[in-house]
Amino acid sequence: MMMDVFMRRQALILGTFSLVGIIVLWQVAVASGAINPFFISTPAAVWEEFLVQLGDGSLLTNIAASLYSFALALGLAVAVGIGLGILAGWFRDAEAALEPFIWFKYSAPTVAFYPLFIAWLGYGTPTIVAIAFLFALTPIYANTLSGIKNVDRDLKRVATSFGGRPYDIFFRIALPGSVPVIVAGLRLGVGRALTGVVVAELFGANAGLGYSIAYYAQMLQTTQMMVSIVVIILLGVAMTQALSFVEKQTDAWRTSHDT
Amino acid sequence: MAGIEIRNLRIEYRIPNGEELFTAVNDVSLSVREGEFVSIVGSSGCGKSTLLLSVAGLVKVARGSIAIDERIVTGPGPDRAVVFQDASLLPWRTVLGNVRFGLEMQRWTGGDYTERAMSMIRLVGLGRFADYHPHQLSGGMRQRANIARALAVDPEVLLMDEPFGALDAQTREIMGEELLRIWEKNKKTALFVTHDIDEAIFLSDKIVVMGRNPGHIKEVIEVDLPRPRKPEILDTPRFTEFRRRLRAHLAADMAGMHLVEEVA
Amino acid sequence: MGMAVTSIRDASRRNVLQGWYPKRSSMVSFLSVAAFFILWQVAPELGWVNGRFTSQPSQVFLAGIDVVLHDNFFYHARISLTELALGFALALAVSIPLGVLLGTSQTARYLIDPPLMALYIAPTLVLLPILVVWLGIGMASKVAIVFLGALFPIVVNTMAGMREVDSKLIRAARSFGASKFDIFIQILIPGSLPSILTGIRLAVGRAVLGVVVGELFVSQAGIGHQLNTYGSSMRIDRLLVYALVVSAFGYALTAAVRAIEAHVRTWRPE
Repeated sequence: MMMDVFMRRQALILGTFSLVGIIVLWQVAVASGAINPFFISTPAAVWEEFLVQLGDGSLLTNIAASLYSFALALGLAVAVGIGLGILAGWFRDAEAALEPFIWFKYSAPTVAFYPLFIAWLGYGTPTIVAIAFLFALTPIYANTLSGIKNVDRDLKRVATSFGGRPYDIFFRIALPGSVPVIVAGLRLGVGRALTGVVVAELFGANAGLGYSIAYYAQMLQTTQMMVSIVVIILLGVAMTQALSFVEKQTDAWRTSHDT
Repeated sequence: MAGIEIRNLRIEYRIPNGEELFTAVNDVSLSVREGEFVSIVGSSGCGKSTLLLSVAGLVKVARGSIAIDERIVTGPGPDRAVVFQDASLLPWRTVLGNVRFGLEMQRWTGGDYTERAMSMIRLVGLGRFADYHPHQLSGGMRQRANIARALAVDPEVLLMDEPFGALDAQTREIMGEELLRIWEKNKKTALFVTHDIDEAIFLSDKIVVMGRNPGHIKEVIEVDLPRPRKPEILDTPRFTEFRRRLRAHLAADMAGMHLVEEVA
Repeated sequence: MGMAVTSIRDASRRNVLQGWYPKRSSMVSFLSVAAFFILWQVAPELGWVNGRFTSQPSQVFLAGIDVVLHDNFFYHARISLTELALGFALALAVSIPLGVLLGTSQTARYLIDPPLMALYIAPTLVLLPILVVWLGIGMASKVAIVFLGALFPIVVNTMAGMREVDSKLIRAARSFGASKFDIFIQILIPGSLPSILTGIRLAVGRAVLGVVVGELFVSQAGIGHQLNTYGSSMRIDRLLVYALVVSAFGYALTAAVRAIEAHVRTWRPE
């Protein structure tokens, strides 16, 4: 028994170990002169700079700006993605009509059209929201479509045999049944929205984490850049973990179905 | 060809996330003569598969010994081959490729691999399907390929773990007759685990009845029905008598299980 | 006799025509796309939208010909392709062995999995500016971003593929006395091939994105560089030509990998 507890803890211990180890390795590699601090700075310097940026409010301003764009983009993506997904999932014709455009959107790197958005919407938040919206839209739409379309046939048959009409089947079977898939799509969408915001900010913005990276890049100040980079990574991990948790909760009734 | 000597065998394993050691099999002793076809039956959890796998050398032994022809078993070896319930055929290889697999793993030195494999494939009745992939075959056909693979390496002992368990009733009957047809050719020592009483009586020279908590041998029944066995034998009074005896054992097990549940 | 032959021929001709009748969904999709193109062409003419911002199919088509003939198109294409190929090749060389290591060694997995997952989820494009700081504005920084983009999907999927190989196959191999090396070569590698291909397909998407974004950000040449140029100078028609080229290319690559994936998956009936 002790061995098994150890096994599960082992994953946690080694995981923490490796993260701490990386930070230590980082510090040592730079301090010993093996890597020029210009390139990746040191954990100590990054931590100090983090406190500086926190103190003078710049970090929080940037985080707020990015999160604002993120929220707008995600909200739009959820509304449009789920709305269109339900439409396309339920009505074959809608799916057929939308399919070429979705397929195109899927193959085309959205960022390739970035200059087009700049031309239409100018530099700043509208373009950032537009790009992030498009980034996040694909998984949300695709998963919603799949969830509604692939309603469990057996369940549908049972409902119909009890006299259920399409209206009933949609609200009582299709919609509830697709919740796990949709939530999975949301999890993917969140990551993509964050990516979209940050990448768009790299190019043209006046605030935000991506903007901060590009700004300090121009002055070759890697320490300042590292602060934003680390914050973005941590944000991404935190959000994905939070959503994975939500996913597991909505999935709870599914586990017995799978076995 | 070889006989199997099992002496005072004890197999334990740790339940995941559990405290204790679980004794799967306790103090089991068994002798199997050369060329004997022995079935092991018993209700779920009596350790019959575990016993078979320990003879295969895939499960560690806590106490006691297993000897094949006086050689102690310490791991898998060329003297034994296993036919699992799951055909476990490599999906990316053809039937021929799969039957060759055992020969390749053992670096077999008995001749050309393809020739050997093809003769086994024909023996199990898959001659026309040598170039097919597993996903193109039915369950019964896959098991035939599985058997061919085991026979190809010419083991001294053939170990079979509910090989027909996943097949439908009719296919199971056919496969049973097929197995005997193939087995009659060279009468290898065989250990056959099954749930199916009729199957056990039909196929075997001897039936080992196991009980659970912990796994042990309740009785060893000699099946002295004449060979070669034909399907008509299932309706004879002697067959029915064997069936009755085995049913009684299993019923006792069931009753025992119900008792345990009530107490707990 | 002659009469019978004629009628058989007629019957088969009828069947051919019947088989050709398209499905409803294809018709709807076709109509949808046609409607879009018609709208795109006509709206600027009617004054519904400003043609300077949207261009028109006809203009894009003409610009396409123009670009290929007069714009050093192949020079830029070659630059982008080189960056893509180099970065991807490097990624393959590193990620597959790494994925194999993680798939087979539990200790390595426990150690490397947390930072690996964090980086897989994180947008590697965010590192673009710092890569430019390190490697300059030339091809090197683009190769680096392609490398980073392709690395993680391949590692993660290779690792997953190795771990998800049917354990019953491994058990069967062991029963025949297969050594660890045998199991690795004969079972783990073919068994994880579908997952590895999935990883490669995902990596292709990220790699193409990396080249384009990298060149958009800062570059001296390449498809992304042209995108930037025409965007700034409001030459929407040429911009769209390059954007469509990238889309078509990305699609072709992904489709190719999908085709290989599909072929490999025929082994699995599930």
